Amino acid sequence: MKTANWIKLEIPSDTRNVAFARTAVALFASQLDWTLDELEDIKVAVSEAVSNSVIHGYSLQEGVVIVEARYEGPELSISIEDFGQGIADIEQAQEVGFTSIPEERMGLGFTFMHEYMDQVLVASEVGKGTKVTMVKRVKDVES
Amino acid sequence: MQYDFQLEGQALIATLRGELDLHTSPEFKDTLTKLFETHSTLKHLIMNVKGLTFIDSSGLGVILGRYRVIQERGGRLFFVQANPQIKRILQMSGFQKISEFANSTEDVLERV
Ligand SMILES: Nc1ncnc2c1ncn2[C@@H]1O[C@H](COP(=O)(O)OP(=O)(O)OP(=O)(O)O)[C@@H](O)[C@H]1O
Ligand SMILES: [Mg+2]
Repeated sequence: MKTANWIKLEIPSDTRNVAFARTAVALFASQLDWTLDELEDIKVAVSEAVSNSVIHGYSLQEGVVIVEARYEGPELSISIEDFGQGIADIEQAQEVGFTSIPEERMGLGFTFMHEYMDQVLVASEVGKGTKVTMVKRVKDVES
Repeated sequence: MQYDFQLEGQALIATLRGELDLHTSPEFKDTLTKLFETHSTLKHLIMNVKGLTFIDSSGLGVILGRYRVIQERGGRLFFVQANPQIKRILQMSGFQKISEFANSTEDVLERV
């Protein structure tokens, strides 16, 4: 039986595409056996990562965001990549409440990603871009 | 995203339907900000979120941003009919310290 599948989306960094990306990934993810709450968690995590690419990566200017999702067995992996300004201090960026735009934002995007997904990995280089990879596993209902 | 506003004395009731995110929050923020500017007697914000199907940090940031004015005016912030997911994200964002949950706008209007 085939247990692996994947999708890849390449979208412009338009604010409208944040909703598109989270809905598309959730629809793909629903091929696995999540609870409704878990599917909502996935939506929030994707929304945060794509929003960050649009706001911070590209400063709301034009750019390309690549969204990939794949699963093998019970493990779903989602990556969101931009080719924008990058993050200088990756650890600081993930601290609860850290934001480079304190007048407007709460600095909670990464906190939500960590809370809602099992694993979050951030790779970034200043001037090159950022790739956030998030993993979530379907919980074994028997255990 | 659809929303409407209703003035009840010193309280503003904001009723939201749909998804509040990076795309939909700027317009909501502007309208909310203007209402608090033009009505200087407004103190309380009642967010009726029964029909809100999605919110993330962009939407939460807009509400938190208005909290400063509410606080300055000695007002209170309420969330009416928040579903479990919305409650959870609000709690995770520290909103339980600055806001109250309620079952209906009538309940809130009796309280303020
Ligand atoms: N894709 C990205 N490109 C460049 N910088 C980023 C990117 N993602 C995050 N950052 C940096 O990391 C910081 C923290 O991100 P996080 O999502 O936690 O908070 P925020 O976006 O500032 O606020 P919020 O998510 O609450 O609206 C950002 O302020 C920004 O400086
Ligand atoms: Mg963010």
